[in-house]
Amino acid sequence: MIRFAWLQSRTQTLVAAFVLAALAVVAAITGIQLSHLYATLVAHCHTGCDLATSQYLSHDQVMARALDLIAQAAPALIGLFWGAPLIAREIETGTYRLAWTQGVSRSRWVIIKLAVVGLASATLAGLLTLTITWWYGSVDKLTTTPYAVFDRRDITPVGYAVFAFAAGALLGTVIRRVLPAMAATLGAYVTARVGTALWIRPHLLSPIQTTLSLRGAGPTGQAHLGVGSQNGGAVTLFAQGDGPHNSWTLSSHLLDSAGRQPTTRQLAAFLHDYCPNFRGPGAPPPSGQGVVQVVGPDAGRPCLDQAAKAFHLLVTYQPADRYWTLQWLETGLFVALALVASAGCYWWATHRTS
Amino acid sequence: MTMAIEAFGVGRRYGRRWALTDCTLSIPAGRVVGLVGPNGAGKSTLLHLAVGLLEPSAGTISVLDQGARSGPSQLERIGFLAQDSPIYARLTVAQHVRMGQLLNRTWDAAFAASRIKNLGLDPSQRAGTMSGGQRAQLALTLAVAKRPELLVLDEPVAALDPLARREFLQTLMEIVAVEGVSVVLSSHLMADVERVCDYLVVLVAGRVALTGDVDELLALHHRLTGPRRDVARMPAHQLVIEQSHVDKQTTLIVRSQEPILDPVWNVTPVTLDDLALAYMRQARDSAGPSSNGLELAR
Repeated sequence: MIRFAWLQSRTQTLVAAFVLAALAVVAAITGIQLSHLYATLVAHCHTGCDLATSQYLSHDQVMARALDLIAQAAPALIGLFWGAPLIAREIETGTYRLAWTQGVSRSRWVIIKLAVVGLASATLAGLLTLTITWWYGSVDKLTTTPYAVFDRRDITPVGYAVFAFAAGALLGTVIRRVLPAMAATLGAYVTARVGTALWIRPHLLSPIQTTLSLRGAGPTGQAHLGVGSQNGGAVTLFAQGDGPHNSWTLSSHLLDSAGRQPTTRQLAAFLHDYCPNFRGPGAPPPSGQGVVQVVGPDAGRPCLDQAAKAFHLLVTYQPADRYWTLQWLETGLFVALALVASAGCYWWATHRTS
Repeated sequence: MTMAIEAFGVGRRYGRRWALTDCTLSIPAGRVVGLVGPNGAGKSTLLHLAVGLLEPSAGTISVLDQGARSGPSQLERIGFLAQDSPIYARLTVAQHVRMGQLLNRTWDAAFAASRIKNLGLDPSQRAGTMSGGQRAQLALTLAVAKRPELLVLDEPVAALDPLARREFLQTLMEIVAVEGVSVVLSSHLMADVERVCDYLVVLVAGRVALTGDVDELLALHHRLTGPRRDVARMPAHQLVIEQSHVDKQTTLIVRSQEPILDPVWNVTPVTLDDLALAYMRQARDSAGPSSNGLELAR
């Protein structure tokens, strides 16, 4: 049965392997150029590094965008084109009547099909993310915290791909038609990904909370403070805190000395007392909408000093050294979901499918 | 005696609709059995239940004296050719043969190879580009090359043109003659059944309307033509299956163990077609449990 499963999926696997190989060659060539450029422009730079960095980063933006898109789309495509049709096509074209009346039990047939194509999905996604993570190695160091590209690098794409495949297989078995199953798979995949990113990933490990002084950079993070008006509204105090370098900031709240969040009235009273130089709604905002008009350091210094005394920030974040733990946890979560979906697919195919 | 298919009170429901209800029948092995009935009679459902593709919602069904869903060894004993001869459009003829070999321990590679050669099929041709007749022949080859004890064919020729149909049935008869395999073949076309089958089962609305050896059935039934006559006045041993009256003439199809001696009647033999149609009409008109009374005692 394993060899028949391979016979059936050979063409699609070879096509995927060919595309992957072509991509790897292009990535290798451009990636080597890129690391060479990094070595000459950025690595040994001492002064005027900003220019060198931006020159380096703008070097291969087409490739960078393409790889980013592929990293985002590949797991979904695996779910749509390998997962959803796995059993739905057999049912839709009637070939299940041929497949399930050979001398192999239906249970074995379903398990081996899931295992063989699922393994191919994991392998494909693994090689793809290996290529992309390698290509982006030096770029990522310069541009972002690792958390900004958490779902497009390292091992999470493998979990996503395996999940997309299994969800597709399950939905295909239940829906019994390829196209609607593909649509449902896309919906399920996007829902799972967005839901995880918004509600689950921040809480996979309980985040760290720290208080930040408004006086600017400290060892545990960085605060930004300003007074101004937004969209021509009332003058108010803007404060935003970030966790330590390369960490993932989940939230930051302004608190008063008693540890409570100040109300709008409290803030207004504070501004009235200590920041008389700011009046709002004042002059029209400098340009367009949504612009925060932050007053420069000198004009409002006493006001800002006073604000730093009266308030502080509570910052919630995941530190940089949890990156790999979170990668494994999220990948594990999606692999577990994939196993559940596979079990559902198996049960439905053996018990509910005519 | 081994039974090819034996069903006791078998029913199958799709959602709220019953495709087959309370079906009790015995189809003997070692015969070429024609399972006929109008569209929607439950023929496909019964055969799908027999090969284990479906599970009965009620009752029990056994094939070759074993539960229909008793695992891969049971699947190896049955060669199934589903309606419209499903094949993998993207796989070649040779890959289909390879599939049969990989999935069946009992596969007869030499037989498959010689069949493909005799049929003139190109092993490298994709199955999706073949004609309907070629598809059916390939599917039949796959079903037979696993060396089953029972060959189950669901409307094998319904989608074929007359020439392909004749060729397919010719092939089937050759295989039956040489391999001695039991066959259950469903069809709604009596001509096909008449050509190849030696045993008949008529299924109407999930119930057996008639079952028996073809020759015996033909010997038991007679077409009587004569002057107009009230059916109620027929002798008790002559069971009227169908009657039609025009003007001064009456035509009857009658079941009788004894010869018809009444000189009033012009007695002619019935065809299998007449017979099946008569029983189908009768079963349809008397829809309900009473139709069980029409089963032929053997």
